[in-house]
This record gives sequence, structure tokens and C-alpha cells, in this order.
Amino acid sequence: MRLTRRRLLAGAAAGAVGAGAGIYELVDHLASSPARPVAVRRPREQHLLEGVETITDDGVEVLVPPLHHRVVTAKVRPGTDLRSAQAELERRLAGLDRRFEPTPAGLGVTVAWGLPYFRHLVPAAARTHLPVDLRATRERHRPVSALLDAVRFPSDPHDTVLEDNDLAVLLRSDDAGHVDEGAKALFDGFDALGQTSVRRGFVGGGFSGRQSLPKQMAVAAGVAGAELIPDGSQLFLGFTSTQRAAMGHGRIANLETLGYARDPHGYFRGGTTMHLSHVREDLEGWYLNFDFSQRVSTAFRPDLHSVRPNAQTVAQAPRDVSSERQVERTYHRFGAIGHSAAIQTSSRLKQRHVGPDGTVYEAGAAIPLRADFNTLDNPFAWSSQPTRDGMSRSPAAGVHFLVFNPTSDDFHRNRLAMDGVLPDGTKLRFPPGSRGQGFNSVLKTTHRQNFIVPPREHRSFPLAELA
Amino acid sequence: MRKIGVVSLAALAAAVALVASGCGADRAGQPAAKAAEKRCPAHALAGWQRLANRIHAPVYCPTWMPDPFDGVIGGQWNTINSVSPDRSYLIGFIWLEAGSGELHVNLRGYPARTRIPTCVDVNTVNGITRRTNIPCFSDPTSHLHVAGIDATVYTANQDADRWHVLYAWRHGGSLYTLSQHVAVPLTYQKVVADLDHMLRSLVLVRPSS
Repeated sequence: MRLTRRRLLAGAAAGAVGAGAGIYELVDHLASSPARPVAVRRPREQHLLEGVETITDDGVEVLVPPLHHRVVTAKVRPGTDLRSAQAELERRLAGLDRRFEPTPAGLGVTVAWGLPYFRHLVPAAARTHLPVDLRATRERHRPVSALLDAVRFPSDPHDTVLEDNDLAVLLRSDDAGHVDEGAKALFDGFDALGQTSVRRGFVGGGFSGRQSLPKQMAVAAGVAGAELIPDGSQLFLGFTSTQRAAMGHGRIANLETLGYARDPHGYFRGGTTMHLSHVREDLEGWYLNFDFSQRVSTAFRPDLHSVRPNAQTVAQAPRDVSSERQVERTYHRFGAIGHSAAIQTSSRLKQRHVGPDGTVYEAGAAIPLRADFNTLDNPFAWSSQPTRDGMSRSPAAGVHFLVFNPTSDDFHRNRLAMDGVLPDGTKLRFPPGSRGQGFNSVLKTTHRQNFIVPPREHRSFPLAELA
Repeated sequence: MRKIGVVSLAALAAAVALVASGCGADRAGQPAAKAAEKRCPAHALAGWQRLANRIHAPVYCPTWMPDPFDGVIGGQWNTINSVSPDRSYLIGFIWLEAGSGELHVNLRGYPARTRIPTCVDVNTVNGITRRTNIPCFSDPTSHLHVAGIDATVYTANQDADRWHVLYAWRHGGSLYTLSQHVAVPLTYQKVVADLDHMLRSLVLVRPSS
């Protein structure tokens, strides 16, 4: 009997639904935890993870991120007694602190708060205590908060959802069970918080020569183009993103370190800002339409010719950093800018800087501290607004992009540079979705929001005690 | 950019054909004796023979193709029949249904040359067009030996083979390729299965004059 088109489609849809519903159950079967250094302290900064191993891959130092990640977003329920809720959340967080060390072997917990929380629940204290972005204030001749509403960037679709969550909790560990326990400990039976989304994902696992977790998960889920992902690839797009030189080091992403922000009462000292977005990735478009050398040009820069064929880790040390003029030259010569090269114009230190704690940050050092991870969520694992969020049960390749920057404006500058809008005002124009504009032709951002990450002592309902 | 018309049901016919045509008998593990019995189908032979005679070199006739293709040069689905001055040829079969999808298979041959040809990558930004020479077939990902053919699998290809998975091999001092377009809901795996099937089905047709 001939297979009709309808029967074929019905079968494909059923397979996709099944894969989407249960795919994360595979994750612990596919990955084993690497050996990890033991943490010696719990830093003031919530966003810093201790005990992160450094290895050398292709002669480049690479940080080994935790394998399993989850972000839970939530809103504070109306009528909540903020001080009681503050005490209760802190009690729960402290319980996790006692149970797990703040390392990939244990559990990293980061609680971040969005502008809706500050505007609606602690408005007066927020007006006097939220840090001000000095650089943006100076340039725009008006006060600019260190925490900004998310915006759509030139390469974003018009329907990218700008979210309005009160808070987001990032949980990360090599042990998926720890992540589960953390989420339950924080949210189960806590009436003050109504969850709005759950986002799950994974990264790495391929440095030991095994097939990486993203590759295994994508193949298991049957997402388009999964077979084309290089076996050991840290992320779906085939390149290592956590090399040491490309990640913000130490406290560089803190609000106070580079002097970008003024914290009027020192309440947020040791804090940072966080951007969270979900981005769909077209794996077939990436691997079938770009050969390896084109992928290198697109991911890094068009005039990079010394990369070993099929290399996954490409040096991005301070000496490899591109300037605005170099990016502009490659634009005029090749009609293209590399993703990393363009972002480096705003994401690297222009000059040597000594932080308030005496730490020296050399020129060319990376400022943002990324914590992004791949996902099969489409776009989330769960949503309280499935229609608005465009929820689908079919798995899809994507990334939950999560990064810590000293201020929201600093992230916006980096993201604009990715679109060819450089820090000195130079605008390198591209048609929408142009291959020349780095990764943009294979990415589609569905959601964005900015948050502030208070220091550990104020992580629970910040400013509620002053309200 | 993605090829035009490549939408959700593209290459559905390939999936239908694989199941419906009952062609599973000559999949992997096919006895050599049976492979040796393959003949270019009578209804297709004339076209492939004319091509071989025209370029003065052997060509490969597919004895199996995904439905609805019949492998007939000049037939209903053969939309590309091109021979260049250097005797290289491109024979393409396309099934296209508006709003539904596309199925696309290419067979190529480059007589008396084995080097991968060079294509021109054209990039126009703000009215300025830049042309760069690049290999027509890139990113070799694996090799397979089937029915006497040692083929290399290329995943990043250009021109008429853009967004295709392409198998390339050498025979008698010439380069030959077979490629198929990857499009939703046809997966990469399904395309590779189709290509494996077609590769096993190829029969060499030599020039008769």
C-alpha cells in the first residue's frame, strides 16, 4: 500500500511530539560528570561559579561549563507580603547553600530580578538604590539606569517577545538531579511566586573525545541538521564558546568593577546585570549553506586564514581582538563582518584597568561573562502563556542565551555591534538576514529580558526590607 | 539563502517512494551477483546512452530514484540537461508542487578531470557585489564504498547542489557526483538513505561511438 502524504505527516508529527515530551529524560543517560575541583569559598557574587575546570583544547585554554542548565522565570503574586516572602526565599536559598557547594559538581544558583519587580513592588527604594549607568548617562545627557528594559535589535524579528518577568533563577550543575532538586526547593509550595516559564538545556561534554551532549541530544530529538553537528562540539553551531580569553574574568562583569555604574548606596556592590534570551538556530542552514571556512569567517572574522580544518576551538586572545577599523575594513573588503570580531569592538577592554579590589584587567580582556546553553525547548520547556510564547511540543535547536554584563547598556552595545553598529557610531549596513552579518542569517530571537543580579546578601526580594 | 520553494513537504515524494516502491531489496548487503545484474532501465537507457556518446565518456544511469522520478533524460521530471564545452554534464530531476514542496536530485560528471571544480560565491551588500572562488563541494564528512564506488560525502555545496548532500567519486580519470536536496520534512538521514539507495543502483553506460 502506498504511503499517503497525510499518513507520512501524521507519523512525523507523532514522532516529534514524543521526542519533545520526553527528550530531557535522556540527558542523564548521555552524559557523565567530569572530575571537578572542590570549592573553597562562597563568593559575594551570585553569578560567579567556583570550581570551574580549565582545560587546553587545540592549544587554547577553555573553561568547562556545567553540563545541565535550567532557568525558571516567575512573577510575584499580587498581595504578597514582601518581607515574609523575602525571608522565605532566603531560607530556601540558604538550604540549597548548605546542601550544595557553589560549583558545577554541586549547584550554582543565581537569582536575578527584572524591572517590573522594582517598578511595581519596591518603586521608591528602587528610585534611590538602583545603580545608574554613568557612561550611558553621560552620552545621552539624561539619567540611565544600569538595568534597562530589553529592546529589539536591528536583526531581531518584529515579533520578538520583550518579557516582563519579576525574577529569573538560573540553576546549573553537572548533575541534572541537583538542578531538579534546586528548582523544587525554591518553587514548590512557595505561594509568593507564580512561575511563568521553565527553560532547560545543556552544553559541552565533548572535550574528552566523546560525542558531546548537544550532539547526542539533538540526534536523539531528531531535530533537522542534528547529524551535521561535529561530534565533540560544545554547542550546536560547532565552535567552543567558553575559551578563557573570551570570557569575563573574575569580577570584571560586576557593576562596580569598571566604573560603568554608580551604586548610590552600595546595595548592589558585587552584583551585575543579566540578559536572557531564547534564540532559534537553523542547523541545516548553518551546515549545508556554509562550508567550514565560511563558518569560521562568519563566527570569527572574514580574514582569518590560519584555522586548522575542522577545528572547534579558535584562539580569541587579546592579541586576536579586532578594532572598529579592522571590522570596517573587512566589511568593505569582504562585505562581511565576523560575529566575534564585531562584538569584540565593544566587549573587550580598550585599556588596562585596575578594579576596586586591586585586580588588574589588561587591555583586550573580555568583559561579558556568558552562561549560555543549548536547548531543544521550542521555545521553552513550559510556559504560563503558551499562546503568547508560541509554545510547540516539537523539539527545536536553539540557545538560551544568558550573559552577565556590568550594565544592561553594556550588553546592548555588544549586541548592536553584532548587527554592525559599532561603539564609535559606525554603522555597517546589511540587508536583513544577510550572511555577511555573522550568525544572524541562521538565528532568530524569540524572547528577551534584562535583569539585575544582586549580591548574595540581597538576592532575595532586593530592597523589600526598605520598602 | 535557502533555495526557493523549499518548504515543509519538500522531498515528501522521496519518502513516499522509498516505502511504496518496494525497493528495499537492493539496500545494503545486496549480493554482488545481483548488483552485477543491474541494467539501465530500457525506458531510460536511450537518454543516458546519448549523453555518454555526446561527451565521449561513461555516464552513470540510476536504476532507482525516489518517486516520482524515473531517471529518463528528457522525461517529465528531468528539468536540467546541460553539457558544457568542457564535456562536463549536469542532469537534474525536480519535482515541485506549489505550497507543498520540492524534490531535487542532480547527477554530474566531469570527464577527464578529477579535481573538485571551482565555483564563484557571489555576495552583494549595499549594491556592491563581491565574487570569491570557492570549491563547489566542501566539508567532506565521511566515505562509503558501495557497488565498486568509493564515494566521499560532502555537506556544503554550491550552485545547483546548494543545500544538497553530495556524493562524489572518481572513475576512469573522471569525477562524478550524485546529490539530493535536504528540505523539511525530509531529514538529513532520509536524504542520505535515498543517496545510498541511488548510489547502489548506479549502472555505468559507456559511449557506443
